[in-house]
Amino acid sequence: MKQQNKFNSEQQQELAAQQHTTQNTAQEFATVEDLLRFDATQTSPPASLAPRLQQSSADIPRPNRPWWQKLFQR
Amino acid sequence: MNEPLADRECPVQPQSDWTPEEFANLYAEHSRAIFYLALRFLGDPQKAEDATHDVFLKAFRKMDQFRGEASWRTWLYRIAINHCRNLQQSWNERHMFSNADEAIWENAVAQSDSPLRVLETKELGERIQKALDALPDEYRLLLLLIADEQLSYEEVGTLTEQSADAVRGKLHRARKAFAATFKKTE
Repeated sequence: MKQQNKFNSEQQQELAAQQHTTQNTAQEFATVEDLLRFDATQTSPPASLAPRLQQSSADIPRPNRPWWQKLFQR
Repeated sequence: MNEPLADRECPVQPQSDWTPEEFANLYAEHSRAIFYLALRFLGDPQKAEDATHDVFLKAFRKMDQFRGEASWRTWLYRIAINHCRNLQQSWNERHMFSNADEAIWENAVAQSDSPLRVLETKELGERIQKALDALPDEYRLLLLLIADEQLSYEEVGTLTEQSADAVRGKLHRARKAFAATFKKTE
């Protein structure tokens, strides 16, 4: 009888562990938004992009202040 | 969903005389969001890199036109959406994953911490892309925008030229469509 109880207890623990794992997986991405947010955190712009952009922006002249700003901010 | 960005303090204030440092701050703050939108909307890492570059360059050129009525994030998203839509219209067919794309994914994965996590992330990214590719453009865009916690329903509505209620309604259908297509990628 004791042996049977022990067996049941082990089975229950194993079952509980399996359910916990399944629940964790399901809960991790409970919504589409959660899934996409996780995906976004794993996705970074390529490291080469910042220097490339820096070079490109250095090649163009900075915009002049618009006439209305010049008029009102003298 | 957070408060509208327009109500929050912007790290970079509207002005016309930009220093390289301020532009760098703007890039640091928003480049991940813009790149992610371009990547998942266009479905091509190289196109997404080029698009992100062009979006920020356009923003740099048009800094003097920013009035501060919307947030920087919303303003950049607007430029990105228009740019990506124009790119898409110029393509004859949707781009699917090629061998070159897979190589890029592998490079990105190699930068992650844990090998197990890497494997999962790689598979997950591919599955998400396949599921998004199967959706209509409007659903894909709505899901990508609403996943950005910095945007409110109102701001997503403004960006997609519809009311917040319309966004909520379409989002419900978009979620269901995504879930169905995502399951097929298993």
